[in-house]
Amino acid sequence: MTMETARIGADANLMPKELADDTSDKHYVAAPCQIACPVGTDAPSYIGYIWAGKFEEAFEAITATNPFSSICGRVCDAPCEPACRREASDGAIQIRNLKRFVMDRLGATWSPKPAAQTREQSIGIVGAGPAGLVAAHDLAVAGFKVDVYEMTDKPGGMMIWGIPAFRLPQNIIGEDMERLQKRCPGLTIHTNTALGRDVSLEELKRRHEAVVLTIGSWWGKKMGIPGEDDPRVVDGVEFLRRINGGERPQMPKEVVVIGGGDVAMDACRAALRLPGCEKVKVIYRRGPDEIPARKIELQGAIEEGIAFIYNTQQVAVIPQGDDSLLLRCVKTGAGEPDADGRRRPIVLEGSEHDHACGMVIAAVGQYGANEDLEGRGMMAGDRVATEWEGMRTSDPQVFAAGDGAFGGSTIVMAMSHGQRVAYYVKAFLEGNDRPVPYRTPWRTRRVPVAQDTRWEQIPLHHPDFHGVGENPVEFPEIESTYTWDEARDEAARCYRCDAETGSSDYSVQNREDIFLMARMQKTDVARQARMLAKRLRPRENPFPEVRPATLDDLVFLPANLSRLVIDPYREACAINTDLGMGRMELEQPFFAAGFDNAAADVKAGVAAGLSHGAAGYIGLQPLGKDVPWLQLVIPGQIAPSADAAGLIHVVGPRFAAPANLERLHEDQLLGLSVAHHEALEEAIVFGLENKFDVLLLGGNATVGTDWPELAGAPDLSMLRDAITILRRLNREEEIDIIWYGGVRSGTDAAKAIALGSKAAVFGMTLALAAGGEIQNGHELLFAPDRSEEERAEAVANILKAAAGEASMMARCTGKTNLHNLEPEDIRALTRATAAATGLPLAGTT
Amino acid sequence: MVTIDLSQVSVREGNEQIRAAGAEGHDIEVLNPDARHHIGVGLIHPVTVTVRGSAGYFLGGLSDKANFVVERNVGWGLGDNMYNGSVVVGGNAGAIAGVAIRGAEIVVKGNVGSRAGQVMKKGTLLCAGNANFMAGYMMYGGRIIILGDSGERLGEDMSGGEIFLGGPLNSLGSDATLTDAEQAEIDDIRAFLDRYEIPFKGSFQKVVNAGKKLRYGTSETPVRSIPYFTFSGQSDYWNQKVQEDVYIKSQIGRYRVRGYGGARAVPHLTDIAFRKDITAASIGDNPVDDVEMKTLIGGINGAKPLTLTMPVMIAPMSYGALSRSAKQAIAIASGMAGIAENTGEGGMSDAQRDAAKQLIFQMLGGRLGWNIHDMNRADGLEIYISQGAKPGFGGQLMAKKVTKELAEIRGIPAGIDLRSPSRHPDILGADDLVIKIEELREATGYRLPVSVKLGAGRIRDDIKIAVKDGFDFVELDGMQGSTGAGGAEVMEYVGIPTLSAICEAERALASIGRRQDIEIVLMGGIRDGVDAVKGLALGADAIALGTSAIIAGGCIACMQCHVGQCVTGIATQDPEHEKRYKAKVEAQHIYTFLESVRWQIAAITKALGHKDVKQLSRDDLVALTPEAAEITGLPYEPDRRNVDLFQAAG
Repeated sequence: MTMETARIGADANLMPKELADDTSDKHYVAAPCQIACPVGTDAPSYIGYIWAGKFEEAFEAITATNPFSSICGRVCDAPCEPACRREASDGAIQIRNLKRFVMDRLGATWSPKPAAQTREQSIGIVGAGPAGLVAAHDLAVAGFKVDVYEMTDKPGGMMIWGIPAFRLPQNIIGEDMERLQKRCPGLTIHTNTALGRDVSLEELKRRHEAVVLTIGSWWGKKMGIPGEDDPRVVDGVEFLRRINGGERPQMPKEVVVIGGGDVAMDACRAALRLPGCEKVKVIYRRGPDEIPARKIELQGAIEEGIAFIYNTQQVAVIPQGDDSLLLRCVKTGAGEPDADGRRRPIVLEGSEHDHACGMVIAAVGQYGANEDLEGRGMMAGDRVATEWEGMRTSDPQVFAAGDGAFGGSTIVMAMSHGQRVAYYVKAFLEGNDRPVPYRTPWRTRRVPVAQDTRWEQIPLHHPDFHGVGENPVEFPEIESTYTWDEARDEAARCYRCDAETGSSDYSVQNREDIFLMARMQKTDVARQARMLAKRLRPRENPFPEVRPATLDDLVFLPANLSRLVIDPYREACAINTDLGMGRMELEQPFFAAGFDNAAADVKAGVAAGLSHGAAGYIGLQPLGKDVPWLQLVIPGQIAPSADAAGLIHVVGPRFAAPANLERLHEDQLLGLSVAHHEALEEAIVFGLENKFDVLLLGGNATVGTDWPELAGAPDLSMLRDAITILRRLNREEEIDIIWYGGVRSGTDAAKAIALGSKAAVFGMTLALAAGGEIQNGHELLFAPDRSEEERAEAVANILKAAAGEASMMARCTGKTNLHNLEPEDIRALTRATAAATGLPLAGTT
Repeated sequence: MVTIDLSQVSVREGNEQIRAAGAEGHDIEVLNPDARHHIGVGLIHPVTVTVRGSAGYFLGGLSDKANFVVERNVGWGLGDNMYNGSVVVGGNAGAIAGVAIRGAEIVVKGNVGSRAGQVMKKGTLLCAGNANFMAGYMMYGGRIIILGDSGERLGEDMSGGEIFLGGPLNSLGSDATLTDAEQAEIDDIRAFLDRYEIPFKGSFQKVVNAGKKLRYGTSETPVRSIPYFTFSGQSDYWNQKVQEDVYIKSQIGRYRVRGYGGARAVPHLTDIAFRKDITAASIGDNPVDDVEMKTLIGGINGAKPLTLTMPVMIAPMSYGALSRSAKQAIAIASGMAGIAENTGEGGMSDAQRDAAKQLIFQMLGGRLGWNIHDMNRADGLEIYISQGAKPGFGGQLMAKKVTKELAEIRGIPAGIDLRSPSRHPDILGADDLVIKIEELREATGYRLPVSVKLGAGRIRDDIKIAVKDGFDFVELDGMQGSTGAGGAEVMEYVGIPTLSAICEAERALASIGRRQDIEIVLMGGIRDGVDAVKGLALGADAIALGTSAIIAGGCIACMQCHVGQCVTGIATQDPEHEKRYKAKVEAQHIYTFLESVRWQIAAITKALGHKDVKQLSRDDLVALTPEAAEITGLPYEPDRRNVDLFQAAG
């Protein structure tokens, strides 16, 4: 499945539980790096974890699908990086180096939980390379007993024999192997046991219910030119095997390496570090743009001083009398494209020339071979004949995978073969003849995006590169691991293509579809149709019946042609407010509430902030002498105070008339606080009859406690019903409503005013501004690390912002006075909100 | 000398004759006993036009290099948006004399009405008599000289330029201040007065911008956006987003600003579905060839229409909000796809003009980058009244993005936090629009379609005004539209959804029987061909794509457009960041996206049984949610989910 079709067509519901992943999560798409990774590593999550300093979580994300994470941290081909979308901008995230950073921190010490053997059946695996060991890992984790037969004396295959220590130190391999053994107690590795020599396939089939052949591509190909049998001509993989076995042979001064792949890169760099070697040339038959070596290896080789000779092809090795060789070459030009799209090199006539050297290392490809299998007719050329669909060979009990089955590739690709073959072997052993086709599962750990304000600017930073080092023959590592600062910066750069941003219309799935639409041929009808099918699927209804009516679902109608907009940046809009026919005047229509039981320093800070912000306070006790105070009077509790600018008698669910209707001074406001529908009508009638000035309407039922708003969304129908009653009585202008419930911003306040209020109460909002933190979802604690001045400033600022926002809404609708907002200026977006407010749904008038 | 008698010919004929005479280098005498409007608008030749009598609105408007002399008085909008050239008025001028001039010399020997020199950028406006209130209102540059009384609130909200006052100062405007004039400046004024033979011996006071308003000490800490589903009705009331908002506002003391479109889910086109199954069989192999999609927009009143190969346009987005490279990529893609591109606010660049085959030129209240030459090379004109993302607001461009080059195109001081005016200086109501449209048509010889962009609000009323005013088409922008920077609260809570907007517009026009008298281009949150077909079936004549085109061209929707450091090089003016954007590569992506949109429109249209996109109608649709049903009036069929084409397509 290609990357694009995988993403268009990925349907988690079709996958068996072994392959269950997160692709059905509508807030997730597998990022390009994850899809490019043959083993589906959840790179975005571990990058996010690294930034957050959560190394153990990062380690889990890395190792979840990759038993050789320490090795991959050093030498993975990292197909994730060219896939990274930041590559096109200022350079890909250095995903491999970030993995290395985590593995260096935790890889050596981590002890995984052992996966118990739970099944009787066993599997024999031939070859302990990346494909074989990953298959062994997955099958052992699934509960099978697994025996791996390895012809050399060490497990690891090309990981251990093919890669020199300056790129991959032995102890790094050891970390992964140790972790593998700890994780898989049911796994036994039999070293020095070669198929055909020490054990036959027949024998393995007898011992095990299934056999997996991961024999690798172990042998170096011949160049097929005269003179290559000279002992000074060696093949690249054999050369690397000797070096990795510990040999440090004396080298001639000049060495020529033939080939442009990763083996050639490792061979040339290894040769350069050996005693006696002064100069290494690499000869490659195509140009620098076509060389298959990974860019970073090529760059490393160049930086170490290795010469690259392009468009040159070897034609003969000619031994010289003086212990040296001549490598005869011709120059090549670009011919017609091959089947793989690359141009075939063609020989340029008369371009013959010689390179003198003491050794030729031929790294022109590898092949797999096994006489036992050959004899049984199971080989097709240099590979085990294998079907990709089910990883089966011609023998129904025998499966195959890896380079030995599908040709030379990368470590991580071989590992993915291991996962794939394990899936099919498991299905086979479970008697499932027609398993769902395998796909790499994509999982996410839903890690928040890194909150680094510099993320757009931080440049790509490579770790320090050391080249051959001070004592090359010891093969010191070529580069450093990131420091924590470096890793964090690099992690911050990640786009997080897997994650939602703040846009619902352009959710991660919608974005990804648009991205893919921008990359699909218009003539590819099947893909266009698949995409159309996906796009036709409607979203889930965002407004299910359980969604409450909310201030969020109200919008203002802007002035356009039918009204003049009042410039919200420049032009004035009055927000000053009077209550009770001028008994109380405020610069802005805001009150605070909820701080009666707060610590003294919090109270003092909020009081100072309120006096700057010129807002009043509603509470059982005064907040500070500069803050106009509306006293909440609860029957039988604190007596009315003459210091209060107003007395608000709190009414319970059942209306009971306040005992004392006295004003303690002439300008003192009288009011009722109602938070229950049941008491509303009686309270309003009573208030009007007794010439009360204000009605404090609570959208959350428990006014009088500190933080009633913590209960959740306010009940907007309280306001609707109060206005309905007042209108029915035709006495709307006679009492001023103060709305208390869920007001988070000036916009919310403006909505409450448009719905008929005169002023709004900020409770939780001010508490949050003043350093309050919500604990366990239902209580509020004030962080002690804020000074009184800081709290004051924050409170003053949030009120200033709210005043700006409220008047901005009014100006947008064409009003020069906030109190001129009316229900006609707003519309509801949902039926629930329309019902709770009595407003029409937007677009229905 | 050519003489034109406006008692004998219409203004339209008169202006044609003026332009023809100008092209041949002849001076012109206009006999104008009835004080007709629009005399000499769009004239771009260095000839002199002498008006005998008085002139009405917009004398010499939208002209360059020409000189005008008026014997008596002029109406409002004298010299509107004049580049070079001059006007000398013997009597008085009405309101907004010298509005938006960019180099002209305007001399009024009598008094000037209110708001003289509003949003002017360059040049000189001289009032030898008294000025009415708010002279120099929101001016960006240039010079106003007032020899008499200043009027009230002189220099109100000016952000650049200078005002020299020879008479008494009545009052200073908001954010204006007195400063000392330099001798060289005074000498230059005296030379100017001598040139126009105006005697004045008094001294001058100088008024400039005080630099206090719209400037903030504490900048808002940029944060990467919180996932949308963690707030607004889908989680705790006092959720993480509320807490972040409160925290940041408690630091800065003002509303938050961000880029991109609305965050929340609102009723959307996606909440309606097609009545018929869209199956592989009903689509066939090549739907694009089987469905007529060609669409003409803007020709209903005789202008040359935009010719679209499908009923799709690019939504207006400015060079400024977007980088030059991003605008270039969009323009190239629009040309390749055979649809129209739009300049957005802030002017037209040669690169954009060359790349886009059809280009709409947008005019905002700040008149940034607006000029007759670019009007003449545009394929359509658009009067911006408001936009869906932030109705009620003009463009907003943070200082970081106002580079020298950008400031030059727009005619404003570099490095200011630009907040464009919310209203046009000369459009204070529906009637003003009629005369404004006429001015634009006069200036361009009635060749170009004139459209109006409306951020959806009181659409029922606004659309009726738009049709009565005679616009050729309306660009109706729902609240899901995006912007480079805007107040977060406005983006979320002002305006109505695109779905609501089209339904309300259709009902309103039907109620007055005028649907055929205006075309509707719908935009705001339209993401693909599926949304597009639904918009068309609900009544739109075409739809426009903005954000989706940007995403096709590499945007990652991080919603940090306002910061100016766009990681992809799209929404930035920082050359280091812009370098990251490969315009040609991304143009290909945007084009490929548009072709996929085309395929989807064709496929659905065909599957619904039509041969032409114009046959799409409400009968093709059902509603999937109660909200969508109530808004659209479509049958509510929640079970009507689409068949899985994926299976059918293999």
